[in-house]
Amino acid sequence: MRLEKCWFCSSTIYPGHGMMYVRNDAKIFRFCRSKCHKNFKMKRNPRKVKWTKIYRKLHGKELPQDTTFELERKRNRPERYDRNVVEDTVKAMKKISETREEREAQTLANRMRGKKTQQRREDLAELQQGIHLVKAPTALLEEPSLTLPKEKMKVKVSVEQESKAMES
Amino acid sequence: MVHYNLKRITVVPTGKDFVDIVLSRTQRQTPTVIHKSYAINRIRQFYMRKVKYTQATFDEKLGTIIDEFPQLDDIHPFYGDLMNVLYDRDHYKLALGQLRTAKRLVEKICKDYVKLLKYGDSLYRCKQLKKAALGRMCTLMKRVGPSLAYLEQVRQHMARLPSIDPNTRTILICGYPNVGKSSFINKITRADVDVQPYAFTTKSLFVGHTDYKYLRWQVIDTPGILDHPLEDRNTIEMLSITALAHIRAAVLFFVDVSGSCGYSIAQQAALFNSIRPLFDNKPLLVVCSKIDLQSLESLPEEDRQLIMEMKKEASKCSGGIASEMMVEDDDCLLTMSTLTEEGVINVKNTACEKLLQHRVEGKMKSKKLEDVRNRIHVAMPRPRDTRERPPVIPAGVLEARAAAAPRAPRRLEKDLENENGGAGVYSANLRRRYILADESWKEDVVPEIADGHNIADFIDTDILKRLDELDREEHQREEGESEEEDMDDDEFRKLSPEEQEALAAIRLARRNIREEHRLKKTTADSRPMVPRKHDKDKRFTVSRMERHLSNLGIDPSAAAARARSKSRGRKRDRSLGYDEEAGVEAMDVEQPKSKKLRMKSRTRSQSRASMEVVPGEGFKDSAQKQQALALGKKAMKKRSTGKTDRR
Repeated sequence: MRLEKCWFCSSTIYPGHGMMYVRNDAKIFRFCRSKCHKNFKMKRNPRKVKWTKIYRKLHGKELPQDTTFELERKRNRPERYDRNVVEDTVKAMKKISETREEREAQTLANRMRGKKTQQRREDLAELQQGIHLVKAPTALLEEPSLTLPKEKMKVKVSVEQESKAMES
Repeated sequence: MVHYNLKRITVVPTGKDFVDIVLSRTQRQTPTVIHKSYAINRIRQFYMRKVKYTQATFDEKLGTIIDEFPQLDDIHPFYGDLMNVLYDRDHYKLALGQLRTAKRLVEKICKDYVKLLKYGDSLYRCKQLKKAALGRMCTLMKRVGPSLAYLEQVRQHMARLPSIDPNTRTILICGYPNVGKSSFINKITRADVDVQPYAFTTKSLFVGHTDYKYLRWQVIDTPGILDHPLEDRNTIEMLSITALAHIRAAVLFFVDVSGSCGYSIAQQAALFNSIRPLFDNKPLLVVCSKIDLQSLESLPEEDRQLIMEMKKEASKCSGGIASEMMVEDDDCLLTMSTLTEEGVINVKNTACEKLLQHRVEGKMKSKKLEDVRNRIHVAMPRPRDTRERPPVIPAGVLEARAAAAPRAPRRLEKDLENENGGAGVYSANLRRRYILADESWKEDVVPEIADGHNIADFIDTDILKRLDELDREEHQREEGESEEEDMDDDEFRKLSPEEQEALAAIRLARRNIREEHRLKKTTADSRPMVPRKHDKDKRFTVSRMERHLSNLGIDPSAAAARARSKSRGRKRDRSLGYDEEAGVEAMDVEQPKSKKLRMKSRTRSQSRASMEVVPGEGFKDSAQKQQALALGKKAMKKRSTGKTDRR
C-alpha cells in the first residue's frame, strides 16, 4: 500500500480515493478527486492554476526545494528488512517533518515581511483621502484631526428647550 | 484447380436484379444531399461522382463474372469438350463476349457524360445528365439480360458437374444401355447411382472412388452409348464419348451376354468396332456381365466368336508387350455378375493392374525418369571383417539403471497444508523462508504509512548520518534568523482607535455609495425608469437632513429652518418671521410659534404613514412588496468573507 501524489494538485491520495488514468503511452496519472481529474481533462496546466502546489512552489509562495524533500524519495530497489533501520527511519521521519514545517513557517514569515508597514501606509492614505465622506470641511477646519466629528443636533435640541422654558 | 472453381462461381443476377443492385449501391454509397444553392463545382462533382461510381460498380460486377467463368480454351480439353457438349461452346463464348462489350460500352457512356457534366451550369441540367447517363447504362444491361440468364443456368449446372480429375488413375466404364455399368460402380465404390430397368437411367457422368494397392482410383460411370454415327449422337451419349476421348483411363467395355438389356451380342460387337478408335493407347478390358443369367460356355457359336474377336482386338489395343508379341492376353476378357458378386473384385483388380502397368511403362519411357534415376544412389557399407560391433552404453548408466533406488519423499508445502486443515482452512505463512539478519524479525509487523508519508520512501541505511546533517543545517539557519529580526514598526505609526473608527466609517460610507449606485443602475425591465411620484418613499425629509448634517459635524439648525421656511407660504408668514425677529408678537399666543409654523408649512398630505409600502408595480400586496425591496437590498450587499478572502 502506498500513498500517492495527485498529478494535478500534488496532494496525497489515500487508499480508496481518487482515480487513475493510464494513457496509451503507458504514462500513469493519479488524481485525488474529480476536481483535479476534470481540470486535467480540460487540459489545464497545473503550473498556471493558482491553488495547486506546483504553482505555489513555482511562484515562491512556498518552500520550493530543500534537503528535507530530498530525504523523501521513491526507491525502486527494495531493501532487506532490518528492524533497527525501520525504527530509526520512523523516528527520523518525525524529526524531518518538524524541520520541514519550521522551514516553511520561515519562508512564510519572509514573504510577509514588510506587510505591516505597507498596511499602515495604505490605511493612512485612505483616511486622508476619504475623511470628507464622514466629516464636513467646516468641521475639519475647526478640528483638523482625522477623527469622526461630534454630533451637533443634540446640542441644538437642548438650546430650544431652554428657549421655550424662557418664553413660557 | 479447375474443378473446385466451377462450384464457387458467384451468382449471376438477372438483368433487372443487376440494375437494381447497382443503382441501390450507388444510392447508398454516395452522398445524397445536394441543393441548388451550393457552388456549381460542388454540384458538378456530386453528379460526376454518382455517374463514375455507377460505372465502377458495373465494371466490378461484370468483371467478376467474366473472370470467374472459365475460358473454354484454358481448361483441360476434357472439360472444354464437356462444356461444349453441354452448353454449346459458341453460345457460351457469345454470352461472355456480350458481357465484355457491355462493360466497354458502360465505360464509354460514363466518359461521355462526365465530359458533359464538367460544363453543366445548373443543378437541374447536371441532374438530367446524370439521369440520362444512368438510364443508358441500365438499358444496356436490359439488352444483355438473356445472356445473364443463360450464364446463370450454366453456372447452376456447372456447379453440379462431378469433380473429375482428368490426370489421375481412372477406370472408365462404357457399353450399351442397361448392361450393368451402374450396378458395377455401385458394387466397387460408395457411389449411389440409380439402377433401373429402363434404358438411359444414367443421364450424366458419375464418379466413384475406390482403393487398390493403397492408391485412390476414380471410377467413371457413363451413360449408355448407342450405335450410330457421331453426328447423330445426342447430348447424353456425347458425354460418354467425351470422357472416352480425353481421359487416359483403363476402359471396361461391358457386354451383356444374356441379352436382357434388349440388344444382341452382335449389336454390341458392332458398337465395339465403331468406337474402337477411341480405345487407342488405353488398356482395355472386355467384361461379360450378367453371367448368372447366361454363362459364357452356353452361348451360341457366333456370339462366342464375336466375343473372341473383341478379345483379340482388346489385347491389340492396349498396347504394351502383349500386342508386340501378338499373344492373346487372357486378362482381356473377364466375366462377372453383379447379382452374385462373382468376379467383380477380380475385374476391378485386373483393370487397376493393367492401368498401373500402363502408367509405369509410360513413365519409364519418358526422359524425366532417367534424370531422376541418375541422381539416386543408395550406399551400404561393405563389411570388412566378421567382427560384431554393437552400440555402446557407458558403465555408469548401466549401474544406475541396475541400482534404481527410489529417493526419499520431501516434505512439501502441500503436505503441510493438508496437515493443518486443508485448502480453505490453512493459509501458508509466506514469511517462513525469509532470509534476514536476525531470525526473530520474521514475524515483525512492518508499518507502511506514517503521518501521511510512506515509510518506504525514507528508508536509508545511513539515515542517521543524514539526520545529523539536517540538524547542523537547522542550527545554522536559526543563527542566521536571529540576526535578521527587523523592526518595521517605526516607519509608519499605528492608527489611534478614533482614527480607526473614522476609517471604518469611511469604508462603510464607500460601500453604501456603491450599493446605492448598483441599486439605482437599472434596466427598463426590472423597474420603471421614471418613478411615478417624486420621493414617494419619503426619504427626503428635513429631520433626516438634520441628522445627516449633524453626523458630518455641521450645525443643521440654519439649514433646517431655511428648508422649512421655503415650504411655507410667503405672504402671511413673512410678517410673522419679521415680527419674530423684532421680538414683538403680532398674532395671538395661544399656540406655540413652532407649532403654528409647522401647521402652515406646505408639506404633503400626511394621510399615510411614512414606512407604509404601497402595493403596486405588479405586487399583490404591501407585504410582498416589502419582501421584494428587502431582497433587493440584500442582493446588493457585500457578501460575508468566504474561503477566498481568508487566503
